[in-house]
Amino acid sequence: MSSLKKSFNVRCRDFIHAGEASISVQQLLKQMHIDPVLIRRIAICGYEGEMNVVMHGGDGIYCVEINTDRIVLDISDKGPGIADIAKAMEKGFSTASDEYREMGFGAGMGLPNMKKNADEMIVESEPGCGTRVRMSFIIKQSTPT
Amino acid sequence: MVPEYISFVEKFCTGCSQCVRVCPTKTIRIRNNKAVFFDELCIGCGECTRVCPEGAVSSSISVIEPCMKDKLNVVIVSPVLYAQFPGVMPSDVLIGLNEMGFDHAIDLSYYLEMFQYAVDEFVLENRKSNNAPWPLISPICPVVIRLIVLNYPNLLDHILPLRRPVSLLGDEIREKLSHEHGVDKKDIIIYHITPCHAKVVPDRSGLMDELGFIDRALGINRIYPGLKQKLEQVKELELSLFPNEHFSFVPSTRGPLWGMSGGEIAGMRIDNVIAVSGVKETMAYLEKIEMGLFSDMEYIEFRACTEGCLGGPLTAVDRYMAKSTVQKFIKMFGIGRRLPRHKIRQLYDKGWFFSRIKPSELAGVYKSKRKPLTFDDMKKIEKLMSLIHGSDCGACGAPDCKTFAEDVVTEAADLKACFKMKE
Repeated sequence: MSSLKKSFNVRCRDFIHAGEASISVQQLLKQMHIDPVLIRRIAICGYEGEMNVVMHGGDGIYCVEINTDRIVLDISDKGPGIADIAKAMEKGFSTASDEYREMGFGAGMGLPNMKKNADEMIVESEPGCGTRVRMSFIIKQSTPT
Repeated sequence: MVPEYISFVEKFCTGCSQCVRVCPTKTIRIRNNKAVFFDELCIGCGECTRVCPEGAVSSSISVIEPCMKDKLNVVIVSPVLYAQFPGVMPSDVLIGLNEMGFDHAIDLSYYLEMFQYAVDEFVLENRKSNNAPWPLISPICPVVIRLIVLNYPNLLDHILPLRRPVSLLGDEIREKLSHEHGVDKKDIIIYHITPCHAKVVPDRSGLMDELGFIDRALGINRIYPGLKQKLEQVKELELSLFPNEHFSFVPSTRGPLWGMSGGEIAGMRIDNVIAVSGVKETMAYLEKIEMGLFSDMEYIEFRACTEGCLGGPLTAVDRYMAKSTVQKFIKMFGIGRRLPRHKIRQLYDKGWFFSRIKPSELAGVYKSKRKPLTFDDMKKIEKLMSLIHGSDCGACGAPDCKTFAEDVVTEAADLKACFKMKE
């Protein structure tokens, strides 16, 4: 089965280039005529994930794997990790600094929003060892051949 | 095929590829030293007409047609026209148009104000019910609408479903004038003087369709020399301030301000608004909106031309000079409000402002004919890119290496066109 993999580096605190990986993936999927609604969900998840890395995670890698039946986003970083994953998944919970809040981030909606938009989501993390978020999106019938 | 927005004279084309590079939707290639168009991707932004050094690519709409004697000739004036004549009052510009042979020269600013009020109403109403998909996107710029239909169909719902002021006015005028003068509606020719390259050519996106309300478009740059001459005469004429009784809405500063980027939102009450101008900036913002950003904003004014309509491809005067003229107007007169709010509310409740076509119905009216790329295609493109390892030199006739690789995979280009691949 054919699949297409692409990866992008995401740098900590690099707000200028934040979102570029998501935009590239978005453009790629558009050329493949994937369902626009699905593309939008992927873009939202990708962007939230990317911002998490930029704000909290230290440097990270943003991988996308496109298969005929599903698309997998795999965003991992070498940051401080999440102590309590269940808590982090709650709406409104955030560990963002005041600096980020002033920039308009840190509303505690990132992970919940990703969970809402992804078909499946797995968060693996341990304090001090970084975080890995994997999200899958199922492509329904109108799959390109 | 050459898109309907553009007139292309092949014998003038030297294949310099400047148009290829500026095209935001990558519609143009060079083949055999001549520009070739994929017309279905053209959004009518006019960027190619600005850069062509040979005059081979130009706008197809700015043909000045003589006023017809047996018809009633009415002209709707884009407020950008006033900004072309520093030191001349807008009402004098209208007189000048009368002198040129138009029976009625009609100012738009009254309708612009109405539109702004209607947007206020729409936002306030939906803020309460939280129904609208935020941020709403201004329906004014036709290029932006086409761009969304073509490349960002997800955002169609974000387009504000109100008709453009020109179409509202055109509709009203034809109705009233045929009644007052007792002429058949067909005998009224409505012209629109516009800086916009994309206006009036049959709008493939259909939204807020100006066609039917407007019969002919005149580019400002074509009417400028004649009008300039007439204005010299008007100065000496000292005619009455209000040239014609019908629709003689006195131009207000709202009009000229509207032409500037940010002018549309400047007259509104709502606060969470941004104005974005320039086609590249517009695309960057649309991409971000697709990713869920700016949902705390209520209304975004997009203009495909940098600095707004004052920078339109069919203007006669440089955009920054025109901006200076507008700023002078505003310093002199301020931004007034003239309309009673409750009357607009009544019209709004009647549904007078709403477009007959829902923006979401536009999905697919206007899309790329290219085949979707498959996984294998994507892999081939990746491989080609690593082989070419180029610097987007453009010698192959494509705007950049990635587009070239796509063209090769979809068999629209020959691999040997790349000089690195010849060896």
